Amino acid sequence: MTNEVTTPFYNYIVDGFPGFLDATPGNFLPLREEAFTRFKTLGLPTTKAEDWRYTNVQLFLKDPFTFSPVAGTVTETQLAPASIVGLDAYRVVLVNGHFQENLSTLPAIKGVTIEPLAAAATRPLVQEHLGQHIHLQDQPFAALNTALFTGGLFIEVAANVIVDKPIYLLNVYTTTHKNAFIQPRNLWIIHTNAALEIVESVLDLSDNGIVLVNGVTETIVKENAEFSHYNLQMAAKDGRYIHYTATEQEQYSRYHHFNFTLPAASFTRNNLSVALHGNYTESNMLGLYVANDAQHVDNHTFVDHLRPNCNSNELYKGVLLDSAKAVFTGRIHVNQIAQKTNAFQQNSNLLLSDKADINSQPQLEIYADDVKCSHGFTVGQFNQEALFYLRSRGIGEEAARNMLVGAFAYDITDQVKIPAVQDYIISHIEESIVIN
Amino acid sequence: MKNSNDIIDDIASKEYEFGFTTDIEMEIAPKGLSEDTIRFISAKKNEPEWLLQWRLKAYAAFLKMKMPAWQHFDMPQIDFQNVSYYAAPKQKKQLNSLDEVDPELLATFAKLGIPLNEQKMMTGVAVDAVFDSVSVATTYKGKLKELGIIFCSFGEAVQEHPELVKQYLGSVVPHSDNIFAALNAAVFSDGSFVYIPKGVRSPMELSTYFRINAENTGQFERTLIIADDDAYVSYLEGCTAPQRDENQLHAAVVEIVTLERAEVKYSTVQNWYPGDKDGKGGIYNFVTKRGICRGAHSKISWTQVETGSSITWKYPSVILQGDHSQGEFYSVAVTRNRQIADTGTKMIHMGKNTRSRIISKGISAGHGDNSYRGLVKIGPRAQSARNFTQCDSLLIGDQCGAHTFPYIESRNNTATVEHEATTSKIGEDQIFYLNARGIDTEKAVALIVNGYAKEVLNQLPMEFAVEAQKLLSITLEGSVG
Repeated sequence: MTNEVTTPFYNYIVDGFPGFLDATPGNFLPLREEAFTRFKTLGLPTTKAEDWRYTNVQLFLKDPFTFSPVAGTVTETQLAPASIVGLDAYRVVLVNGHFQENLSTLPAIKGVTIEPLAAAATRPLVQEHLGQHIHLQDQPFAALNTALFTGGLFIEVAANVIVDKPIYLLNVYTTTHKNAFIQPRNLWIIHTNAALEIVESVLDLSDNGIVLVNGVTETIVKENAEFSHYNLQMAAKDGRYIHYTATEQEQYSRYHHFNFTLPAASFTRNNLSVALHGNYTESNMLGLYVANDAQHVDNHTFVDHLRPNCNSNELYKGVLLDSAKAVFTGRIHVNQIAQKTNAFQQNSNLLLSDKADINSQPQLEIYADDVKCSHGFTVGQFNQEALFYLRSRGIGEEAARNMLVGAFAYDITDQVKIPAVQDYIISHIEESIVIN
Repeated sequence: MKNSNDIIDDIASKEYEFGFTTDIEMEIAPKGLSEDTIRFISAKKNEPEWLLQWRLKAYAAFLKMKMPAWQHFDMPQIDFQNVSYYAAPKQKKQLNSLDEVDPELLATFAKLGIPLNEQKMMTGVAVDAVFDSVSVATTYKGKLKELGIIFCSFGEAVQEHPELVKQYLGSVVPHSDNIFAALNAAVFSDGSFVYIPKGVRSPMELSTYFRINAENTGQFERTLIIADDDAYVSYLEGCTAPQRDENQLHAAVVEIVTLERAEVKYSTVQNWYPGDKDGKGGIYNFVTKRGICRGAHSKISWTQVETGSSITWKYPSVILQGDHSQGEFYSVAVTRNRQIADTGTKMIHMGKNTRSRIISKGISAGHGDNSYRGLVKIGPRAQSARNFTQCDSLLIGDQCGAHTFPYIESRNNTATVEHEATTSKIGEDQIFYLNARGIDTEKAVALIVNGYAKEVLNQLPMEFAVEAQKLLSITLEGSVG
């Protein structure tokens, strides 16, 4: 992949790099420079790149964006739309990636560290792990983030610490009369036998401008630790989000990743990469995307089975309305020594409009023989018989359709272990389904 | 009883039985590729000007193209200048009957078990035998002619039915489709041509047998099958090559056109020389096969058993243009030693109520690498289109790889597309069950593999099914996962 087309956005970044670099916090200079060289080599992807075959990201980078290294001011009342009713949780608020202590409620538990990544720069753990878990070689956006990230959160949970309540991590984005290019960077480390739940959400308070967010989250789940991550993407219209989530699991660890992409951000690209470095791990990756209008939702997942006896389970479901477009690429790689692997992957889609569009690539790449691996894909529309059944029992067409969509999404929503979050998502799905 | 390692070694060291060469006087074009080569071939075949121009156009396109890079294996360097593009058994005059064919040649085909002799009525298969680049004999021509069926070598078709060739040549696989198709279009030397007229059901299977014999040659044949309204034909293709240390290139093109309610069934048993156990030598089998269901209610069915070649790279595809048309793809691909197979299909749904079915079974042993790569595309006008895809992989030994890379693109909400894939090995419980019933491990494996591939083998015509089944058990004799 070479940068065959130089776009204004690419030129803006390359030309402005020395100046932008001065504005970045923390002492990560060698890493940033190396990553930037990588970014320049890769260039911005075109649809000729296999990973971007169905997503023309250039379309979403056409508008002029301004590199935005600073936080805006946000008040408590502005956060109201993003509150999840009945959620008993600690709260961390980031504005344009910058930690807001006055708006946050942190756990007062010994062994739990939550601070801006820049402030944690000198920690040996950060120096050891930052940038080490992402595949910079072929990920231009992750490389760009590594080169010029400005905010983000460092979370560390010490060995044997069970965080009693979930942490609600609210990403607030603001703009003022200009389109903003924002790059948060997170590093989360959950030590041996520890447990942590994070509920992550987005609140777009942009005023007269579009946000382009290019984030990276690296997580290390150590031996026998458990980490649940609920990522709720319900951003405002026009927003563009590219996110790379890289997780590394050590032996006996458990990782549950939930990704809900609901209206109305115009572009969402999620890369989820899980590397299984220990034996006997468990990974559950569940995703639900409901897209309407002209939304473009792209999920790329990669599970790398590097050690024997690991289980991975992946289920992504999508409901597409209007002229929404969805892309799913799931890749399972089983290393030659990863015997006794169980790896399952399924992608199912409901196309509820004749203009909606789905492209899917469920891939298996297997080099070990004693494994159980499967993948599946389906696309279809409402089961007319089910619809008829409901209607013949006096249920209106719209209500019947809502019921069927709810039932389709149930496989995912039922797995959500926090009741308040579950209710929140179900109500949002209902709101999103308006069939014209 | 042998332990599983011995058995895996056995598979790896299995000899290729068709590795002999035939000592026959050949006419071989000098190595190298240029416009002159193309003019030479065209002149040799006494071709009309339009065909030469078409070849030259393809050559121009070929020169502009780059080798593809999306495949799941390391693409070998192919020196297109180090290949001879024309090799033919030397013959002085036009042949009128089989008696005039070089006996050495007949002996070769007899050795391969190909019935060229029309007296042997029992098989009931009409054969067109292609030796290196030239069609040497076509059997049962007279009988087919009575029904209006044209079954002859491509060169003959160009001379005798230029209007049909001109109309359909390149209409499914354009001269600039991909680099190998362009190369084929530029230098193809012969192949088979089939035309089934309106309302005719071919009373027998038509068959082509390809053999590469000469050293340093490539085989570039081109097959064109046209089934007019309500016609039906079942077509078989088989191939072998001698054992050599260099890699040889085989870049064929097959085009199929079905009109209203017509049906073509195309079966391949591919057994080119696969190279030795270290991956030395073998055929690069880079083939473009595509059919178009132009008429409503027409059907194209591809069945393939791929056991040979050091690299197999082909995607027999169907363009479902006519409403209610059907496409099918059944495949068994076996890789062992250092063999690589990257194969699959494309089903392009364009018409209303079009249906397609894909069944792919991959078997990998030794250091083999087996990939399924397929595309199912539902166009915006393909109302109520239906696709079902199943691709299963069987791994024998822990040094091999099995991969699935499906691409699914749906642009119509009334379409239903299903895809499922599994990967597994031969279960110890299955072997144990058969052992307990007095069946030794080798036979048990053969049984299980044949059962695994049954869905595909069942699609083959009888004569071929027996051959394919034998081939499969020889290839995987006694394997325990």
